[in-house]
Amino acid sequence: MDDLQWMEIVTYFGWFIAVYMVVVIAFYTVILVISSFQLRREYQLDRTRTYEDYTNEIYTKPVSIIVPAYNEEAGIVQSVRSLLSINYPVYEIVVVNDGSKDNTVKKVIEQYDMKEIQKVVRRQVDSKPIKKIYQSQILPNLFLIDKENGGKADALNAGLNFSHYPYFCSLDGDSVLESDAFLKVMKPIIDSNEDVIASGGSVRIANGCDIRNGNILKIGLSDKPIVIMQIIEYLRAFLMGRIGLSRHNLLLIISGAFGVFSKYWVVEAGGYKTDTVGEDMELVVRLHSLLKERGLKKKIVYVPDPVCWTEVPEDFTFLRKQRRRWHRGLFESLWTHRKMLFNPKYGAIGFISFPYFWIVEFFGPIVELAGYLFIILCLFLGGIYIEFAILIFLLSLFYGSLFSMAAVLLEEWSLTKYPKVSDIIKLFLYSLTETLWYRPLTVLWRCEGIWQMIKGDKSWGEMKRKGVSQ
Amino acid sequence: MLTSELYGLTLAATGLLSILFILLFYLLVRKAFSIRERNQIEIEKKQYEEPIFTFLVDGQLKRGVTPSTFTQKKAVEELLAKFAGLLEGEQEKKRIFELAQIHLSDFYRIRLKSRKWSDRMNALFHIEDFKIRSLEGNIISLFEKKKITRDEAIHVLRILAAFQSKEIYSLLLDRFNSLSTYEYRNILTRLDENHFDQFVLGFNKCGIPMQSAILDVMGTERKLKYVSFIESVFRAYSGEIKIRALKTLGEIGYVKDIDLYLPLCKSAKWEERMMAAKLIGVLRERKGIPDLKALLHDSNWWVRSQAGQSIKSFSDGEKVLQSILETSSDTFARDMAWEWLHKGD
Repeated sequence: MDDLQWMEIVTYFGWFIAVYMVVVIAFYTVILVISSFQLRREYQLDRTRTYEDYTNEIYTKPVSIIVPAYNEEAGIVQSVRSLLSINYPVYEIVVVNDGSKDNTVKKVIEQYDMKEIQKVVRRQVDSKPIKKIYQSQILPNLFLIDKENGGKADALNAGLNFSHYPYFCSLDGDSVLESDAFLKVMKPIIDSNEDVIASGGSVRIANGCDIRNGNILKIGLSDKPIVIMQIIEYLRAFLMGRIGLSRHNLLLIISGAFGVFSKYWVVEAGGYKTDTVGEDMELVVRLHSLLKERGLKKKIVYVPDPVCWTEVPEDFTFLRKQRRRWHRGLFESLWTHRKMLFNPKYGAIGFISFPYFWIVEFFGPIVELAGYLFIILCLFLGGIYIEFAILIFLLSLFYGSLFSMAAVLLEEWSLTKYPKVSDIIKLFLYSLTETLWYRPLTVLWRCEGIWQMIKGDKSWGEMKRKGVSQ
Repeated sequence: MLTSELYGLTLAATGLLSILFILLFYLLVRKAFSIRERNQIEIEKKQYEEPIFTFLVDGQLKRGVTPSTFTQKKAVEELLAKFAGLLEGEQEKKRIFELAQIHLSDFYRIRLKSRKWSDRMNALFHIEDFKIRSLEGNIISLFEKKKITRDEAIHVLRILAAFQSKEIYSLLLDRFNSLSTYEYRNILTRLDENHFDQFVLGFNKCGIPMQSAILDVMGTERKLKYVSFIESVFRAYSGEIKIRALKTLGEIGYVKDIDLYLPLCKSAKWEERMMAAKLIGVLRERKGIPDLKALLHDSNWWVRSQAGQSIKSFSDGEKVLQSILETSSDTFARDMAWEWLHKGD
């Protein structure tokens, strides 16, 4: 009798996993369809032409680029150099040294002939005290803020206080921008008469590309399977997820790697939150809640064009740390704003975005991990459970591999960024293997992130940079 | 117990997998073709480059430029676009447009009817660049389609403006009366004086975005003949248009009587205070200096910054800034004075 009950529980559990997966697959399918329609339209559009008019537009909004730096002596000069060749009429670069223990400050000062200036900075959002402010003698639009250590979000807040222009963007030290990046992401803001208050661009992976002096010379694929899998993952996340969500103003993430925000609204929302690992997502969620609470028709959008190339981890240790950290950041944002879930006041955000991020993004890995364990268990139990195992496996094949393959095809169908036929074949075949190794690994790491959180472990690993630019 | 579900799922999975593989195959073939096409275009560009360049420079049309295939037309299009960016002379430009008219107008006429949005958009870009006026009618007929996208519509309007088309006035006032300021500005800057003045005459009938755009265009053109019109707008309107008018006056840098504008230094709206500071600066109106000093202590950064800039534009401006830097007790005012003393030298 006991045995029978046991078996029933196993069966129910199996059905639960299966139903969950079917629901998620349905959701992904809808998003995939929306995205492909939207992307298709722009196939073979001569993009540089679309942005050309804006270069001459004297009314184009000036932008402050904030570059938080912590122990980045290796790459900081390169990063700044790449920003200097940006194609945008008016901008300033604010490097914020967040109490580095290495020679970050010295490097910048020597390279760009920085001189200390006396300036009162209006504290619009909280940040740790600023020690000194420097301005370049050769490039009057380059500033360096030397402040006490307070974390990335705190550095961004300090930069925000100092910045002069109505729009700002934050940029990681390890990212390379396309020279038209700002024209592309500012376009929706200008077109909408400033109804768009934040605009993000899609992020691609720089490993394997030929980059010199902060410019992408040739787009290529890395030889490392783990990097290729991440490329597929980014393609999938950006092409499928964000376009579909952006269309209905449901976007909860502007990637930390690249996004432009209206300073007024960020200050209004209180700046970056310093006690979370996912400050970028948290800010976007807070902006949404602010807009809904005040009943404003402002929007947050996403541009599918790749505008920013970033370096990703090339070995398992760092990738594992990154994934744990991301998952914790996701939870913190969702938890801080838990009141928005199913709250009619927040409209579609509360009824679609939040449930999506909770159910699919946050709990997804737990259910998936349970699914993998279930498959193994079923194989041991044998008999009819073998069928169950096959069912779950097939579903996870949909869940993982098939959608990734579709995303690769979607990229080739619309944006065609990869130049060689062999690149596409490689991406496609690798994505076929996703369910077998990469997906279970990332799922495991994300669950580890949850476990760390439960244990109250606060540490998170920084990524080791080898530098993308030559 | 699960056989039917399993059967269904396996079927679906294999079905989808094969669809994906078929799609992959299609995309790969397409990619291979487009790579080959690109190579072909490059070869043809090499062939055409010399004769086209000679024609553009000497006006002697050599034989050998008779594009008939798709890749040949593309090659000519890309070469002309390249030369249009490189060559500055009037004569050369005229010859570029002439070649485009001869060899590409049919090509674009067909592409305007393409079902692909990107084809139509690219055609519009090139028609504008090469000023192919013979296609004006074809462009206008795009409006007759049931579904014209916003991007296309704006682009068509821009081209019509650049061609000084008669239709543009009624199109903007009646059918496209809800565009953004940016879009209107983009269209209006392409008009010549006569056509633009039509919009000035109809100013009162326009919506706020178009009114703003008209004022902005006047600001960039900097024509003195509009000053009295703008001043009347400033007096008659309120809110955003009033501030825009003020901004335009600041850009043109002339008003008939500054005394009318000095009281704005004490306006409750920071935009008005900023614009007043700007006006005093561009007009170098000495009696406004005390006002500027006061505005350097304003609570708004933009006002302080503008006041600083305006003070600096006076011949003894640096002295004024220096004295504020030394004597003022307001740290923000001192900071701004310092900034303008150290800017751009």
